[in-house]
Amino acid sequence: MPSAITTRNLRKIYRVKKRLSLVKSQEEVVEALKGVSFEVKYGEVVGLLGPNGAGKTTTIKIISTLLIPDGGEAYVDGYDVVRQASEVRKRIGLMLTVEKGFYGKLTGKENLEYFAALYGLSKSEAGRRISNLIKVLELDKLGAVDKLFEEYSLGMKARLSIARALLKNSPVLLLDEPTLGLDPPSARKIRELVKSLAREEGKAVLYTTHNMFEAELVCDKILLINRGLIVAEGTPSELKSKIPKLRVITITVRNGEQARIGEALTPLVATYSVTSNEFGETVVKVSTKSPEEILGEVIRALVACGCDISSVRVEEPTLEDVFIYFSQ
Amino acid sequence: MWFIEILRAEYKLVYAEMLRRKSMLVMMLLYPYVLTGFTLFIGYSFGSKQVFVEKTGVAPEVFMITASFIVLSMLASIDDMIWKPLMDLWHGTLPYIIASPVSRIMLYAATPIPRLTAVVIIGSTSVIPVYALYYGLSGLFTSLIVIGLASLGAVFMITPAMVVTGLANTLGESWRVINIVRPVFLILLGAYYPRILMPLAGLIASYALPPSHIVELIQAFLRNAASALNALSLIGVATALFVIYAPGGSRSILLWERKKVKEGVKYD
Repeated sequence: MPSAITTRNLRKIYRVKKRLSLVKSQEEVVEALKGVSFEVKYGEVVGLLGPNGAGKTTTIKIISTLLIPDGGEAYVDGYDVVRQASEVRKRIGLMLTVEKGFYGKLTGKENLEYFAALYGLSKSEAGRRISNLIKVLELDKLGAVDKLFEEYSLGMKARLSIARALLKNSPVLLLDEPTLGLDPPSARKIRELVKSLAREEGKAVLYTTHNMFEAELVCDKILLINRGLIVAEGTPSELKSKIPKLRVITITVRNGEQARIGEALTPLVATYSVTSNEFGETVVKVSTKSPEEILGEVIRALVACGCDISSVRVEEPTLEDVFIYFSQ
Repeated sequence: MWFIEILRAEYKLVYAEMLRRKSMLVMMLLYPYVLTGFTLFIGYSFGSKQVFVEKTGVAPEVFMITASFIVLSMLASIDDMIWKPLMDLWHGTLPYIIASPVSRIMLYAATPIPRLTAVVIIGSTSVIPVYALYYGLSGLFTSLIVIGLASLGAVFMITPAMVVTGLANTLGESWRVINIVRPVFLILLGAYYPRILMPLAGLIASYALPPSHIVELIQAFLRNAASALNALSLIGVATALFVIYAPGGSRSILLWERKKVKEGVKYD
């Protein structure tokens, strides 16, 4: 079985005219992609993360046949995005922007019917799929079905946009920042749906976002792209383990004397602090590269000096830390 | 089958726009009268009705209402198609259309048909009453023939419009090109200004435009100067030109799309 999406050494150069004066201009070459390679399997949600101008949208455009690359290859369901674009187009569901992309004077349902015709669905099949999607995305509950698109809220637009991406029942979904600007309930609805589409229906999803929290919640694998290159990839926890950041162990203890705690910890750890919180408890913070190696010894030492431990927390680096680390 | 679905979708899109944008509907109803009134006002200011009848063989009111209807029909064919790429870019629907498996040729061929049928229906409100007023009951029959011929001419406009759509939108700042090409097309039709009065270059260019032959036929019909042979030969030439433009039209649309994907279809 071929991978849902495969890219090999994708390259793209944009030539932009830079105005120097009223009449003079100079051509500027921007290398948007410098050799991007990755795979997305069926049943997997892969997040494409990166700062502005990193190459996320260019990658999505190439895979969705909206842009021809200058080098490298990209395949969707085994079909070449340049030479077999029409086959690729039958297999992708696309969501590019939330705000635009529909006809304002048509209702939500009419817009879906229009695109169903472009996708080659028969009237009966389109009707069945549209009714189903309206229910799944709760467009009926929001009163959006017979409302003109120009009167839609952003949340309604996002749901309608997802509905269109799912109209063809495509095995591959390309979603470019699908929750951008949405209210929390709408964003959550879309995240849940994307996850279930991959897990339950085996769809492959390529998902770009700036939202680290969202990426961690939705994506099985994350590709970090920066300046046109994939700089890191892996599961969220794999990525976190790749950055050389000190983890902080925070232990809250009752009836602990700060002086005795200091004496107990000095031989074990190099960096620590002992303070009090607003509840009168003592808070011990230990910084270390490998919390799993010293956590047991630290707890034993605290217990030995008469501390009653009420909580232990190990602060992992966030995906945001990973993003910032690899974006620099 | 797919073409029927596309056509149905285009009908819904165009009629929703027309019926939900009342000003557009009113404009379409008034357009032939406004244009006729305007041209007659200028005509009467500079010349006389008798001279016009002597030169054209038709009453100026009938000639102008017919010309306005022809122009409106042709615009229906040209406008929806020629502006479609820009309108889709503006709506943000262009990337979804390009990334869809729909045949571009089918889509662009279907685009002008809904407005064309609307124009035929709406146009009847201007052509039929004026013809009935001037020619009585027989005017009703004449007006139906004129409406039918004008609609046929508008259909013949589809393939040259496809050629222009592709080429104009391939160039940068396509809206500027479109704004120049549209009036040139309308002049070359010879609806307001019969092509026999055009200079040679204009005449040759007019001959290259399929619907201009139908316009000539309509004008001959109004002068009672259209023989069956004349009618058949003019329709034959228009049909041949329509067919000749077809491959160029499809290539032109594909050329535009190729350029779009080379640059990258914008949506952000």
